[in-house]
Amino acid sequence: MADEKLTQIYIMGKAYDVPVGVTIMDAMEYAGYRFIRGAGCRSGFCGACGTVYRKAGEYRLEFVLACQEMVEEGMHLTQLPFTPAPRSDYVLNELDPRENVLLQHYPEIARCVSCNTCTKACPQEIEVMDYIQAALRGDVAKVAELSFDCIACGLCAMRCPADIKHYHVGQMGRRLHSIANSPMPDHLTERIAQLEGGTFDNEMNALAGASLDDLKTKYAERVIEKAVTEEVTT
Amino acid sequence: MSELTYFPGCSLKDNAKRFEDTAFFVMERLEMPLRELETWNCCGTVYSLTADDLMHHVASVRNFVRTQETGSEELVTLCAMCYNTLSRVAGRINADEEERTKINAFMDREPDYGGTIRVRHVLQVLRDSVGWERLAEGATRPLFGLKVAAYYGCTLVRPRETGIDDMERPTVMADALEAVGAEPVVFPFEAECCGTYQIVDEPHLALEQSGRILQSAALAGADVVVTACPLCQHNLEQAAESLAADVEEIRDIKVVYFTELLAAALGADEGSMTPVVRELITSRVTAEGGA
Amino acid sequence: MTGPEFAGLKDGYPDHMRASIAKVEATRARRLKEGTLAPMSAEARAEILENWHPDYKADQKREVAVGPSKGARMPHEVADLLEAYPAVDPSTIDLSKPDLDVSILILGGGGAASVAALHAVEEGIAPSDILMVTKLRHGDCNSVMAQGGIQAADREPDSPAIHYLDVLGGGHYTNKPELVRALVEDGPRMIEWHERLGVLYDKLNDGTYLEAHGGGTSRMRMHSAKDYTGLEIMRVLKDEVLNVGIPTIEFAPAIDLLLDEAGNTAGAVLFNLETEEQVVVRARATVLATGGFGRLHIQGFETSNHYGATADGLVMAYRAGAGLIDMDSVQYHPTGVAYPAAILGQLATEKLRNQGAEPVDSEGESFVYPLEPRDVESAAIIRQCYGEDRGVETPSGIRGVWLDTPMIDEIHGPGTLKSRLAAMWMMWHRHGIDITKDPALVFPTLHYQNGGVEIDAEGRTAIPGLFAGGEVAGGVHGKNRLMGNSLLDYNVFGRRAGISAARWAKEQASSGSSGLSLKHVEDYVEELKSAGVGTDRTAPMILPDYRREVVIARRLDAL
Repeated sequence: MADEKLTQIYIMGKAYDVPVGVTIMDAMEYAGYRFIRGAGCRSGFCGACGTVYRKAGEYRLEFVLACQEMVEEGMHLTQLPFTPAPRSDYVLNELDPRENVLLQHYPEIARCVSCNTCTKACPQEIEVMDYIQAALRGDVAKVAELSFDCIACGLCAMRCPADIKHYHVGQMGRRLHSIANSPMPDHLTERIAQLEGGTFDNEMNALAGASLDDLKTKYAERVIEKAVTEEVTT
Repeated sequence: MSELTYFPGCSLKDNAKRFEDTAFFVMERLEMPLRELETWNCCGTVYSLTADDLMHHVASVRNFVRTQETGSEELVTLCAMCYNTLSRVAGRINADEEERTKINAFMDREPDYGGTIRVRHVLQVLRDSVGWERLAEGATRPLFGLKVAAYYGCTLVRPRETGIDDMERPTVMADALEAVGAEPVVFPFEAECCGTYQIVDEPHLALEQSGRILQSAALAGADVVVTACPLCQHNLEQAAESLAADVEEIRDIKVVYFTELLAAALGADEGSMTPVVRELITSRVTAEGGA
Repeated sequence: MTGPEFAGLKDGYPDHMRASIAKVEATRARRLKEGTLAPMSAEARAEILENWHPDYKADQKREVAVGPSKGARMPHEVADLLEAYPAVDPSTIDLSKPDLDVSILILGGGGAASVAALHAVEEGIAPSDILMVTKLRHGDCNSVMAQGGIQAADREPDSPAIHYLDVLGGGHYTNKPELVRALVEDGPRMIEWHERLGVLYDKLNDGTYLEAHGGGTSRMRMHSAKDYTGLEIMRVLKDEVLNVGIPTIEFAPAIDLLLDEAGNTAGAVLFNLETEEQVVVRARATVLATGGFGRLHIQGFETSNHYGATADGLVMAYRAGAGLIDMDSVQYHPTGVAYPAAILGQLATEKLRNQGAEPVDSEGESFVYPLEPRDVESAAIIRQCYGEDRGVETPSGIRGVWLDTPMIDEIHGPGTLKSRLAAMWMMWHRHGIDITKDPALVFPTLHYQNGGVEIDAEGRTAIPGLFAGGEVAGGVHGKNRLMGNSLLDYNVFGRRAGISAARWAKEQASSGSSGLSLKHVEDYVEELKSAGVGTDRTAPMILPDYRREVVIARRLDAL
């Protein structure tokens, strides 16, 4: 489009003119890149497109998702195609949540110097250092709460001077918290027992064999349950 | 001809080249030539020798920033080691605007630390904000007859600038327990080192230190030694356990946190006490009237 | 938010959109008081679909000219892929020497693939005997970006029978009954499995699940993890796949299935995206879990789908002889982002509506019951924009309607939106818009493949040894899927496909393996030629190409 407003950015050091008002990902494709790595869900959930950039004249690095962040004039950017972060295997139901399991599996978290570089590298605005500090104390509930929005893009792990693998710690912490502090609701167990005991078999068989008219009538006669306002646990 | 391994340094390759060139000439002549290290890097110059350890304090300063965010003007702590660290950092950073500016700049996109947070230990709060009289009034279960050795360890009372009491003859912990009816005993090792982290790699050193402290307290007639530091507590407990068989005096002596006794005195439920504290309360505390 | 592109915006919106927002604010109190409009009657639903739903435009579809479902109507974009020539070049592959040999080959790296893999292990296949291959990374999929929730009838006032009815009605009664039955009966057990794996579903203070409505549901049975439900489940599944040690090869999509001389599925040819090599994998059983087709941009729609959603599995299975079902039905999610243009088409979860955000037009009036089934809701929004001319026009020319998101905190209390819809808040926040204060603009986006490769209740396809589950498979949802049933679908049928694959693989172990063959691909090529399909299109597409024409025109294959 001849009248499209363009702005200049630098993709891995090379200057390109790209449209104003598009994401970094769209701008890179406009420039002629076709992603193999560096593009996943394209919606901010998968962490494939972690991007590091600086602005012209600035020395500080910024950390964003290419699929969400808009280009700005003078951006100097590159993507993080992969993070070689080692991960500790475990069998969830063999862990004792009362022990400091996270420290056992990731002893390097004790090297945290509270520099907060990880937090500053997070494109999801997560308080990363805080959840590592919680992990150090064995507080898996806090780890789960603070790390919840993590999409495992790897930027934190690549920036940490102590080589901590934050997102692996967070993932393990969340599963531990779920097992330790969030028990299976009784109504679920009861419903499964009912299913296994055949409570609904007759009803289901009847529906399976019902005529189309019958089904349409039943559907039209459904009473829609009224929605309620409820308080969620934190 | 014997060669010497030579480190040039940055200037010698640049503006002081003639210094190096002539030195090479001289040493060749004297048959002790200089052979440059194949790979070398800047030595760090004198800067690397400075005591500028400012960045190490980020951890403490961030806690002060968090304190600021709550609107509070002071941060109170219980662990003697944390007290020591936080109060010394606060002392330094609060007093020096230039250092404060530097560390704020390093922390960059975080709220600036204003330099006004005060750090106190709970014992200071008890002494200066609660007062012994009010503490005494709260003692519904006075610890009459209980002989207590208040053990301060190193970090509460040193260095002088941040110590919560006189480091030669501290009394604040003893005063607190006396306020609730206990009978403090004086013993010479009340501010001597427990052996600290030596308990990990050279345990015999720590056990020796801690053993001496327990023995001294026991000889002074103490039923119990009270501490204000998790590491001191751990080391004294370890010493009590491993030396009890060999050292008669310390066979019966107990070690608890000072707050455990205060809690007992202020009416804590027996169910919330450890067996050690419960035993002290039931067997060593007398029903009425101590000094 | 600095820079020329933000000039003239007030809290993210230009003036003319602010004028419309003012009208939304003016009616909010009244709308909150009056409650939502009532659901449509069946007749009204039929009418709006007929006239306004993109699926009902006859000229956007054609009958596919070849293959096991020859004559079936489907969008041109899908037919184009089925009427295309293979990328694989049999003359360059030595099928007698497979590079890899496994019990179970799982094609896909998303939810269904992971569930299938884990259950194959539980069914007794050694992890090292399984191989997951995926086009992008393990976890780059549609499953990871599902937001609002997963359905399961586990509450006392609910039952599988009620769930069954909701699914069937939403699907226009065209669903395969045995698949729907499996879906709803397995629901609670899949939730239980998730609990044991440590998935963190939102719970109330009393420990029970926080469950909500979706479009077309008659009971609240949507389990959520904020609006990161898909992410939360997927990352736990991936974590468990890693713990169990199931091998995965990333960036190596399959480009054609292999059959053996007996006509059983015998593995696949992979294409290493990075080295561009063809890799031959022999497998006793193959699970197709390749997901959806949003990146075909049907009818030019933007899509909510991930980068690799290009119907590859459909193409491969079709060539091997698997029939397709309900390919004439495409789901458009009613609420894709319509503004700002930078994130056009990205998903805005139905949960916004089930938490109280009403669709509202440019004049500030509500115009539809917020939780109609998706096809109806989409049609209503399209009609409001283009029939009633009460859409809000954006600077890029896109029209949309408002979702009145500030209603959420009004109804549930301050802080609700930011905590329950954290991802949505963040998505618009990055563009200077605070959806707790201002409404958000939405328009339907291409979202889900309602149909697919036909399966039975055990996840079996028409081809022996080929199993399928998840979005690639069809028959579960009929002509329209309900919210929360696709996460359920990939769990239920991923599990069933994995178990069936494991059982089949064990049986195959005792019989000898006969030679690998691509003859079915050669036969397909013959059929294409006989049908007069003359094209240089190849399939599968593997990845969309968003480079500009001018860039592609200047390309040279010189390396």
